[in-house]
Amino acid sequence: MALNYDPEVIGRVFETTDPVEVTAEQINRFCGAIGETNPLYTDEKAAKGGPYGGIVAPPSFAVTFRNGRHFHEHVPRMGRGGFDAGKDIEFAAPIRPGDMITLSSHVKEIYEKTGRSGTMAFVVVRTTLKNQRGEVAAHIDHRFMSRI
Amino acid sequence: MKENRHLSTILDLHSHSEASEDSRAPVEAYLNWIKLRHAERPLDGIVLTEHRQFNRAADYRALEDKFGVMVLRASEVETNYGHMLVFGVNDDILGRFDFANVRLDAQSLIDGVAAMGGIVVPCHPGRPNIGLYEHYRSKPPLENVVAVEAINGGSRKGEDENSAELIDKFGYSGTGGSDSHMVSLIGLCATRFAADIKTIDDLVRELREGDYEPVDFRPRRKPVPHAVMVETR
Amino acid sequence: MSKTFESISVGEELGPLELFVSRDQCRNYARTCAMEAPRFMDDEGAKLERLPGMILPGNMSLGLITRLLTDWIGSGPARIARIGATYRVPVQPDHTLTIHGFITHIHPENRSIEIDLWLENEEADRLVTGAATVEFTK
Repeated sequence: MALNYDPEVIGRVFETTDPVEVTAEQINRFCGAIGETNPLYTDEKAAKGGPYGGIVAPPSFAVTFRNGRHFHEHVPRMGRGGFDAGKDIEFAAPIRPGDMITLSSHVKEIYEKTGRSGTMAFVVVRTTLKNQRGEVAAHIDHRFMSRI
Repeated sequence: MKENRHLSTILDLHSHSEASEDSRAPVEAYLNWIKLRHAERPLDGIVLTEHRQFNRAADYRALEDKFGVMVLRASEVETNYGHMLVFGVNDDILGRFDFANVRLDAQSLIDGVAAMGGIVVPCHPGRPNIGLYEHYRSKPPLENVVAVEAINGGSRKGEDENSAELIDKFGYSGTGGSDSHMVSLIGLCATRFAADIKTIDDLVRELREGDYEPVDFRPRRKPVPHAVMVETR
Repeated sequence: MSKTFESISVGEELGPLELFVSRDQCRNYARTCAMEAPRFMDDEGAKLERLPGMILPGNMSLGLITRLLTDWIGSGPARIARIGATYRVPVQPDHTLTIHGFITHIHPENRSIEIDLWLENEEADRLVTGAATVEFTK
């Protein structure tokens, strides 16, 4: 049974979120949560003398932004469950305290394969993060896996 | 266990380049790594077995010349008995079997490919859901299987042991392949052939009739040193 | 980091980085990132989702793997341009996790390098695998 979905869904932006402010406190807490001690992300004084001229968020902070409340309604359901199978992230402008970040998402690809978990469908959603200057901060490809 | 004697060609029979959706390994990086790690993994070549596809136009001769490592092409396809490596892919085979179909009929594939000049080798047979071992519990064994992948670089605990049990029971020959999707894992498992192999036709002939054995270049597990707590504040 | 682009070679190893991530640290990550799904909070919650026990969010594993790179880069003239990770097996807390990295390719034309990355448990099972591109800005 081939995957059943509307091909028009591929490439169509289905969500753009309202801007969310990034705070120094959020960055600080996130660093604590992953044990990040690099002074570029944790020490105001050291970061000022570094390549970014101030504190920036560690790279994996990019995946902490929440999609909209209706995000999963737009991600085609191909089977049972919805597991996070992985991510691919391209980084561009660093994320700084005070940035206002918006997220824009579209379905990039849908495919099927078999593995240890049986037959699986993968839906890849690309989310683009932009700051208040319209600069891209990151493109994130989320791979959602469901079992068929 | 075969007696130790001079054996002629060592190939990693199972690898994925960036052409497979779950690999980011460029072929050039694979060959450079093989050259770098030759003392630990003395490969003469690799076989690219991309998922559910075969690129007839791909030409790696320039890279072969640059690195002195052979690159042959095959495919990994998905069937009702699990995953299988198809060696000797040609237009006839591609015309008869849709490699993008994840539900190919395994017996038709094995017999059809053999009739059209190739050979099918079931891979990671000990793996749940996509290996022969589990399928043989509920379905009749396949006919005309010559060899299966005895050792796979991505195997988890118990899977190669399941493959060994299958090999013992059915008298299959055994191959080895890394199943690498990352550059640094190329060549962890391979196959040593008695014959000199220079082309895909040589490989198909030797898999059908020749003398070969799996070889395991996976490092021995080092003891885990004292680990540190992730600091939280 | 005292590394320069010119001093780097293919085959060079980053780390390894050994970590012990406790249940509390897992919960802390989940709360910090507003990801308080039951499977990230306790065993009972995870079992309701047919998992053997509590697991780390995939994003947390990604964060830990990224630490190998940020530790290596330090405040040096390099940045992570790209990272990809595949969550192959659920990662459970209260285990010793080891993160490995190897430089696999160098692109002189744009002063970038490719790095293989993976996170394994005490049994050397590769639970998360990935690759990254690091660009040298000087």
